Amino acid sequence: MTRAARTWLVLLVVAVLVAAGSILVGDGDLSDPALRDTYLRLRGWRLACAALAGSGLAVGGVLVQGLFRNPLASPSILGTTAGASLGGVAVLLLWRALLDGIAPAWFPAEFALPLGCVLGALGALALLLAIAGRQPGVVAVLLTGFILSSLFLSVGGLLMSIAQNTWELGRAVVAFTLGGVEARGPRHVLLALPLVVGGLGAAMAWSRHLDLLLSGEEEAAAMGVDVAQVRRWVIGWTAVLTAAAVAIGGNVAFVGLVVPHALRPFVGVNHRALAPAAAVGGAVFVVFADILVRLIPATGQIPLGVVTGLVGAPLFLWLLARAARQGRLA
Amino acid sequence: MSANTGLTVRGLVAGYRHGPDVVHGVDLTAPRGAITALMGPNGAGKSTALKAMVGLVPRARGSMQLDGADLAALGGPERARRVAYVPQRTLLTAPMRVRDVVAMGRFVHRGPWGRPGRADRAAIDAAMASAEIEPLADRTFPTLSGGEQQRVLLARALASGATALLLDEPTSALDVRHALLLHRALRALADDGAVIVVVLHDLSEARARVDQVVLLDAGRVAAAGEAAEVIAPAPVRAVYGVELIEGGGLGWRLPEAR
Repeated sequence: MTRAARTWLVLLVVAVLVAAGSILVGDGDLSDPALRDTYLRLRGWRLACAALAGSGLAVGGVLVQGLFRNPLASPSILGTTAGASLGGVAVLLLWRALLDGIAPAWFPAEFALPLGCVLGALGALALLLAIAGRQPGVVAVLLTGFILSSLFLSVGGLLMSIAQNTWELGRAVVAFTLGGVEARGPRHVLLALPLVVGGLGAAMAWSRHLDLLLSGEEEAAAMGVDVAQVRRWVIGWTAVLTAAAVAIGGNVAFVGLVVPHALRPFVGVNHRALAPAAAVGGAVFVVFADILVRLIPATGQIPLGVVTGLVGAPLFLWLLARAARQGRLA
Repeated sequence: MSANTGLTVRGLVAGYRHGPDVVHGVDLTAPRGAITALMGPNGAGKSTALKAMVGLVPRARGSMQLDGADLAALGGPERARRVAYVPQRTLLTAPMRVRDVVAMGRFVHRGPWGRPGRADRAAIDAAMASAEIEPLADRTFPTLSGGEQQRVLLARALASGATALLLDEPTSALDVRHALLLHRALRALADDGAVIVVVLHDLSEARARVDQVVLLDAGRVAAAGEAAEVIAPAPVRAVYGVELIEGGGLGWRLPEAR
C-alpha cells in the first residue's frame, strides 16, 4: 500500500470516528425515545456544518498557500477570514437599515450573509495583493495580513457596538461574529454545500497550474501558465470558500494553515492530491474541535473559533519558529 | 517566410515594467543546428533580451520570429510549445519528485483535468534520458546538487517538446564536469536540429563550446559572428576592457566512453 493510500485510509477512519463522536457527544440524552430523533437531527446538521466549514477553510488554505508559494499563508493569517466576517456583519446591519420589512419572508438576512462574506473576503485578498503581493519573501505578506486582519476586526468591533443599539440585531451580530455551528439546519447546509463543493472542484481544476507556480510566477509563465488568470480565479474561489465557512461557522481560525501543513508530508506537495485530502482533513479538524466545544466545562458554550485557535496558534508559532531556523522567512 | 529558419530577432527594445529600457535594438539570428551564446558584461541586457523572447519581459519594439512565426503574436501556451526557457536559478524549493518536476514541462500538452497520457510519459522518459537524470527520478528536487537541479530543469524544458531552448547562465553554478555534461546535452540537441540560445559569462567556455556569439554592451550588439571571431582581442577589449591572452588558460574534456 502506498503512503498516499495509507494516509487516505487513516483519514477516512478518523473521519468516521469523529463523525460518530459528533453524533454521540452532547448534553441531550439519546436514550430518551421522545427526544432522540430531535437530538440526532440537530447534531447531524451541526456535524454537516462543522465539516463543511472545515473543508472550505482547509481547501482555501491549499489555494492561498499555492498562490503565494508560501506554506505559512492561510485565509485567517492573511486577513481573509476577518474580511469575510466583516462583510457578513455589514450585511446584517445594512439589511436591518434598508431592507427590514421590505424583503420577502422566504428570503431572510442569513441568505444574504454569504454574499457579504464573499465580498469581504474578496476585498481583503485584493487589498493584500495590492499592498504586498509583489514583495519577495514571506514577512511582508504576513505583516500586511496581520495588519489587515486587525483593521477588519476593529471595524467589525465598531459595527458591533453600533448594532448594540438594537437588542435583536446586536444579538444576531454577536452570535455571527463569535462563530460556532450550534443551532444550524438544512438551510445552512444547502447554502454552504454548493460553494464548498464548487471550491473543491476549482482547486482540483487549478491544481496543475498551482503545481507550476511552485517554481515561481516567471517560470510558470514561461511554461504556458496565464499567471494573472490563475491569480484571479484562485483568489475568487478562496474568497468563496472562506465566505461559505464564515457564513455557517463564523470566524474559525487556523484551519487553513494547520491542515494542509499537517497533510503535506503524507500526501505530497502536488495540489491534485493535497486538495481533496485537505477537504477531509479540514472537516475532521473542525468536527473534532466542535466535540471539544461540547466537552470543555464552561458556564456558556465556548465559541468554535476559540478552540481551533487554542490548537492552531501554538502550532503556527512552532511552524514560524521552524521556518525562521531554516532561513525561509527572508 | 521560409520554415525552419530558426530564431530571428530584429531591433528588439525591451525593459522591465515601470523602468527604463534595458535592451536597445538587439538583432540576433540563431539558426537550427547551432549553439548561439549571448554574452557581455554584467548589466549588458543578456537575461533581459532572453526573457523578452519568451514574453517574460515586455517588448517595446522589434520583431521576434521562430521559423517565420511571430513569437509576440502567439499566446502563452502556443509559445511554450515552441520555445522553452531555463532560468539561471529556480524558485522551486518544494519537496517535489524529480519526475514530477520534469512532467511540469508537459503542461501545455494536457487538458485541464488530464493525467499524463502515453505521449506525455514517452516525452518525459526521453527528456530524462537526454539530460541523463533517470537515476534521480524518485529523488526530491531540493535534495539534489546544483548541477543535478540544472539538468532536471533542462529535462523539464525538453519534455515540453519545444525545439527552441533559451538558457540563462546554465553553467554558472556548475563544476567543470557538470558543465561539460550540460554542453554535451546541448550539442546533441543542436545536432538534432534544435535552436539553442544560451547566456554565458565565461569567454573560454564560449570559445570552446558554442558556434556563434552575440556580444552585448549596454543593451546593444557590440559584435556578432563565429565564436572565434567575436571572442577575439579587439571586441573583448572594447566591451570588457580587458586584454585577451591568446592560447592562455587550461582546457578540459570529458573522458572517452569505454
